[in-house]
Amino acid sequence: MSPPARTRRQDIARAWMRAVYPTAYVPMSPVEIELYLLELVDVIAAATQAEPFTVEPVAVVGDRLVEAHFTGPETLQRTVEVLGHALLFAPELQDVPRLAEKVVAILGCLSTSFATSMRMDAFNQQEEIKLALLAAKLRAERVLKVSEARFREVFDSSAFGIALTDLRGECVDANAALADMIGADRAGLIGRRLIELFDPADVDELVSTYRAVGEGRVERVREQRRLLRADGEPVWVHLAVSLLREAEGKPSHHVTMVEDVSELHLLQKNLDFQLLHDALTGLSNRQHFLTRLETLHGTSRGGITLYYLALDAFSVVNNGLGHAVGDQLLTEVGRRLKAVVADETAAVARMGGDEFAIVVANSPTTPTVPAMVERINEALEKPMDNGVALSASIGVVDRPAAGWDVAELLRAANATLRRAKAGGKRQWQTYDRHVDQRIREHQSRAARMPGALADGEVEVEYQPVVDPTGGQVLGHLARLRWEELEHDECLELAEATGLSLALGQWALREAAGEATASDALGVLHFELSPMQSRDEDLVHTVKRTLDETGLPVSRLRIFLDTRSMLDGTGEDNAQVLRDNGIATGLARFNGGQAELSLLADLPVDSLILDPSVVRRLAERPEGFLHDATAGMVRLIRSSGRSVLVPDVSTPERAAWWARVEVDAAFGDHLAPAVPGYELAH
Amino acid sequence: MTEGLSWVPSTIDTGLPSAARIYDYLLGGGHNFAADRELAEKFLLAQPNARTIARLNRAFLRRAVLHLADAGVRQFLDLGSGIPTVGNVHEIAQRAAPESRVVYVDFEDVAVAHSRMLLEDDDQSTVLQEDMTDTDAVLAGVRDTGLIDFAEPIGVLTVGVFHFVPPERDPVGVVAAYRDAVAPGSYLALSQFTADLQPEEMTGVVAVMRRSANPMFPRTHAEITAMFDGFDLVEPGVVPLPLWRPEDGAVEEDADRAGIFAGVGRKK
Ligand SMILES: C[S@@+](CC[C@H](N)C(=O)[O-])C[C@H]1O[C@@H](n2cnc3c(N)ncnc32)[C@H](O)[C@@H]1O
Repeated sequence: MSPPARTRRQDIARAWMRAVYPTAYVPMSPVEIELYLLELVDVIAAATQAEPFTVEPVAVVGDRLVEAHFTGPETLQRTVEVLGHALLFAPELQDVPRLAEKVVAILGCLSTSFATSMRMDAFNQQEEIKLALLAAKLRAERVLKVSEARFREVFDSSAFGIALTDLRGECVDANAALADMIGADRAGLIGRRLIELFDPADVDELVSTYRAVGEGRVERVREQRRLLRADGEPVWVHLAVSLLREAEGKPSHHVTMVEDVSELHLLQKNLDFQLLHDALTGLSNRQHFLTRLETLHGTSRGGITLYYLALDAFSVVNNGLGHAVGDQLLTEVGRRLKAVVADETAAVARMGGDEFAIVVANSPTTPTVPAMVERINEALEKPMDNGVALSASIGVVDRPAAGWDVAELLRAANATLRRAKAGGKRQWQTYDRHVDQRIREHQSRAARMPGALADGEVEVEYQPVVDPTGGQVLGHLARLRWEELEHDECLELAEATGLSLALGQWALREAAGEATASDALGVLHFELSPMQSRDEDLVHTVKRTLDETGLPVSRLRIFLDTRSMLDGTGEDNAQVLRDNGIATGLARFNGGQAELSLLADLPVDSLILDPSVVRRLAERPEGFLHDATAGMVRLIRSSGRSVLVPDVSTPERAAWWARVEVDAAFGDHLAPAVPGYELAH
Repeated sequence: MTEGLSWVPSTIDTGLPSAARIYDYLLGGGHNFAADRELAEKFLLAQPNARTIARLNRAFLRRAVLHLADAGVRQFLDLGSGIPTVGNVHEIAQRAAPESRVVYVDFEDVAVAHSRMLLEDDDQSTVLQEDMTDTDAVLAGVRDTGLIDFAEPIGVLTVGVFHFVPPERDPVGVVAAYRDAVAPGSYLALSQFTADLQPEEMTGVVAVMRRSANPMFPRTHAEITAMFDGFDLVEPGVVPLPLWRPEDGAVEEDADRAGIFAGVGRKK
């Protein structure tokens, strides 16, 4: 490996260490941790580059993380964040074909192996604690017969099946969980040979397992085996067998513990309790909430009401005042929400980021939905210690039918929240099945998008950008298309799925390649998504694309998302692009005051109006709004910046914009977008 | 606790939360029961930074043991050792110097039962079930193990435990008894909760823990420093957890929200 690649990997390992260090206690020094993670970075980098590509080698990464005890509630999420970004931008990986999809696949594999290892680890720990208890109990019994009742409690309430067998293999005791697993009667198990409960195919090996443990050749054995239910169905279990000794060291019993890991069971069972709480607020997390929701939904006579809420503009607080303040606010929000439903049978959870959920089991005294929404808003509006007052948007699912499962409920509430949010701040809505259907289609699309991108279903098309007076073509704007979805919808989906960076990079490269091959394309106009506009590595990406495709810098014009500049996070990008001689503009510009003042601050030389501005003008009769827009265009042009108009849909509109003297326009009326192969080469 | 029978699990009341198991839960361990987790949740409501504090405390323990090992200490007495989790004292010490010997002391059943299991094959380490404030019993027990030579320096560790010792058990006197029993050149590593840093959160925690088997007693910086009577504090003295000799490359932590003061002293 080249020295720069080595250093870069060390940087990744360091960033990874810093991200996960606060999430879990790991008994190593920061430097040791970094080295440990560096080995894993090597594994991942090798897998990314290997031909043919397979994710398999990455599975050890999840295992190794758990092995070193990187098992905090947020460890995985942070790992995915750091690696996701690092892999997309590691210089040594830039030549890897289809990098973005591979990265997605690798992170998926890593997450799965992490979750599996966590389960195994939890099983082992639980097994150990029970064993310690059992040993203590048996020792105690010979001295004093006291502990029986308390011990029974632990034994009986355990979710593991536990059996105590004598050295001939006969059951001395078994708990209810074991009896349940095989659909048998607990009392009936006593006196039976334990081995008979297993699938005959496993018996021979089990016999030698028990013998090995009994003779002390091995301390403890863990295996996957099949129990046979009374009805003949096999049940897959993790099995752990160990030996109990009397005080003098003579073997006395075997302890067998089993955990049902059949698929059905796995699906029903959420991850272990360790993963059930949100570290920051102490509220239940999503996993735990699902369980609570299920219980309340199944038992509440008055039905339940589910509130799904997201804080408005929380990112502004977080970016503006810092994460520490953000964290405090989230904690306080959690407290207040708990207080709102303190008198109800209810559960409150943080679902992630700035999202919370509340489920209330309705009683005759429970406030109505509007009253409850009001209370929530009031609770949040009271300024916090640092003077910040918050508001939230809320999606409500009220008294759903009993048949709904929890995943469905949560999904509906979340979709309703999205709808409420789209209406602005401090909005709330109740669930509406029709609207939901459309949203659901949208989401299933979002889920399919990574695959579609991998399979080449997403395409880049080129829409001519023309001079509205003379009609000559000034260049082309790159547009995405996927099935019947147009550019904006594609972008929105990509933003929603986190695919935006990868998609944008791919599209830029694709378009730059096309432009290099086709002089007729003229100047390539490329609009960035919000996420891309804020990306720290944007300039690097653009320059690399130019280098690699050979497109002269004079033939590229980049448009940054206006709103992403407003919160300050992307401003640098405009400056640095400009410093590198790349023509830079703003897209989706709606002419508000804040946006106008951006023009004074940013070195941009052009802008594309927001489609909504264009639409609104088209919908209304000529009037004040038109005059104001014309005035704004004049003003902007007099400052030396050019104005581009999107979505010009009719000859009348084209004529109007020509009169206003905008510099360029595009839209299906002027010239539709065409695939690359239709351009003259 | 009845001596001699102290390991009888009649005392394992899984319905009464214990500090050992709550701490284990906060550290992400699985050796705990429903009641512990429930109380831990309340703990978290009162002190949202609790997981971080647990992690910082455990990290201090590690740095302190390594510091002592560096100073040549080869025998450790870990009072209030807790449920073995990741990075136990014998593991850290023996990694630094394989001949290191460790005696663990705790009075909680699960902690002891579990330590016993873990240490089964290690003849350089053992665990005693005793109340560490009963210093005579502890010291007698330690001598009986034959693992510790009182003529040589000993590292006495009381990490995250004195806040469970009420004033009427005379914490200063307890430390003094151990100090007087060990040779000059021995060390004391101590960490304990304080209300100096976050008074409000601490009040909440004390209220929550009143309902457990281990009520809590925060102490001031001055009170904690006074426990080092007869020891020379090593740099940087008694400080919030993350400020005690941070390692190279350490991630910056918020000392004001660290909840616990820590220090290490060397017997004169
Ligand atoms: C928070 S844990 C600390 C564990 C470990 N020292 C560490 O810092 O990681 C405190 C432990 O002290 C034990 N403990 C509290 N008071 C005690 C006493 N008087 N005697 C013995 N152990 C005690 C508790 O049972 C618990 O296991």
